[in-house]
Amino acid sequence: MSLDCTPAELQAVYLSRDLEDGELGAAGASAAIPMAAILLARLTHAPNLQIAGEMFVNPRPRRLWNSMLDDRALGACEASETFLELFGHSHRGLDFFFHNGMQVDARGNINLHFVGGTLERPKMRGPGAANISYAAMSKRFYICTTVHSPRTFVEKVDFVTSPGFLDGPESMKAAGLKGGPRFCITPLAVMDFDPATLRMRLKSVHAWSSIEEVAAKTGFALGIPSDVPITPPPTARELELLRGTVDPEGLLRS
Amino acid sequence: MSAPANRREKRIAAEEAGALIARALADGDLLAIGGLFKQGRPMALVREVIRLGRRDLKLVSSPGSGFDVDLLIAAGCVAETFLPAVTLEDRMCPAFRGAVEAGTLTAHCVDALSIIGGLLAAANGVPFQPVAAWKGSDVPAHNPLVAPIQCPFTGAALYATRAIRPKLALLHAQEADVYGNVRHLATMTYADQLIARAAETVIVSVDRIVPPDEIVARPRETSIPCIYVDAVVEIPYGAHPTGSFPLYSIDEAHIEHYADLAEAARRGVDGARDRLADYIAAQVHASPRQEDYIARAGGAARMRALEDEAATL
Repeated sequence: MSLDCTPAELQAVYLSRDLEDGELGAAGASAAIPMAAILLARLTHAPNLQIAGEMFVNPRPRRLWNSMLDDRALGACEASETFLELFGHSHRGLDFFFHNGMQVDARGNINLHFVGGTLERPKMRGPGAANISYAAMSKRFYICTTVHSPRTFVEKVDFVTSPGFLDGPESMKAAGLKGGPRFCITPLAVMDFDPATLRMRLKSVHAWSSIEEVAAKTGFALGIPSDVPITPPPTARELELLRGTVDPEGLLRS
Repeated sequence: MSAPANRREKRIAAEEAGALIARALADGDLLAIGGLFKQGRPMALVREVIRLGRRDLKLVSSPGSGFDVDLLIAAGCVAETFLPAVTLEDRMCPAFRGAVEAGTLTAHCVDALSIIGGLLAAANGVPFQPVAAWKGSDVPAHNPLVAPIQCPFTGAALYATRAIRPKLALLHAQEADVYGNVRHLATMTYADQLIARAAETVIVSVDRIVPPDEIVARPRETSIPCIYVDAVVEIPYGAHPTGSFPLYSIDEAHIEHYADLAEAARRGVDGARDRLADYIAAQVHASPRQEDYIARAGGAARMRALEDEAATL
């Protein structure tokens, strides 16, 4: 076991362990950590993991890039699709997808549109979201953020760009939603969802952080179980594959 | 059999592109831009639009856009956007963000399926495309392109997203012949094929014109047949500073330089608005010829570096 890794590396390794052999999923845009997780899973326990849904089928990137949706990153692949195929992928859904957010709330809803003011006249306008369908139509998704702050983690998002668990079990039923976020991983901690309330709770804390720090940097009352372990660190083998094969340029270390 | 000797060419000279755009696109019209994020964007043609001084344009693109859209907004050409995601990926688009927050730009709340569905409907000549994948999101209720419908067969609740028919599409690819048969060499063709079928007028810039026989030799690689194209124009490095894979990579440093200027202007830093205006004056207005633009962008040495990066991928 090695503790000598960066938050981004730990996030990638932790996510990779949750992806199952034979599943079909995609990383999305600006998604170096999710793509690293997928590539690492293929090298370890999931050689038949299929990547599709974002135009590049089973890409073989030589290194990671900040933007993971162009020929530079994914041009070497088994097939390319066009946006015409996005319709089918979006309606069939994937096994897994990843989301980041300008705001993420206690029930895992994602906001990429605006913070403060109104949609028409926002205080802060975000980028919006390319594909909002994967959150609703995929079997599950992961929330992977590069910051953990009270501004990002709020009680209720100002706008639901992509649905998490909406307002809880009743609203999920009313909306006809079945999937949802499996867990959320940040540079400080892993948080999952209480099955009864579908509210976020602390699952584990990364070795360099603490329950107190995570609670202070979360902008809502985070459920804290009596037993909160340290997030399991990468194995030597995982780190070797991550650094040697997936991310030789060290993007996740910078 | 070769093409008839008197077949009309769709190739136009670079100097003619501005006049053609001027005829096809009026103030207030809907303009479609090809490519995705920082790849395959028809930047030289976008600069023509800015030089023409078009105002109040509406913009649509493939689901991901960034630099070119931000430049058009910074130059004061845009009133409304129908763009799902507007971002430079590792940072936000400063002019887009600033204009929406200042209330001078209407950024319609749309997503990838409403744009792809709208282009698909227009390409197929039907008024709308049904969509069944928007549960739980606030987006469809605020999306002006979308209305709830019922499936006529099952009665299920669905959405309709209306056809999008741009007045003009500007696209960029690596190759075409003089008759307007376009070939993307890039792995990804974005939404370019759909946009070409949906728009009223289609102008494509290419890095190089190739002989018609080379197109005929590999017809399955013709990504956009000439029947959907009104004009092709050879503009070497016509996508710069975005990438035109596999020929040249993304000029991240150039885009970063622009983003720093635009972000300072958004924040109201002293003199920043003038510096952004100077950038646009030099890059766009003072460089109508592509040779001059490339010289300002670092010349042959910079282009070679971008070619080398693309070649090593």
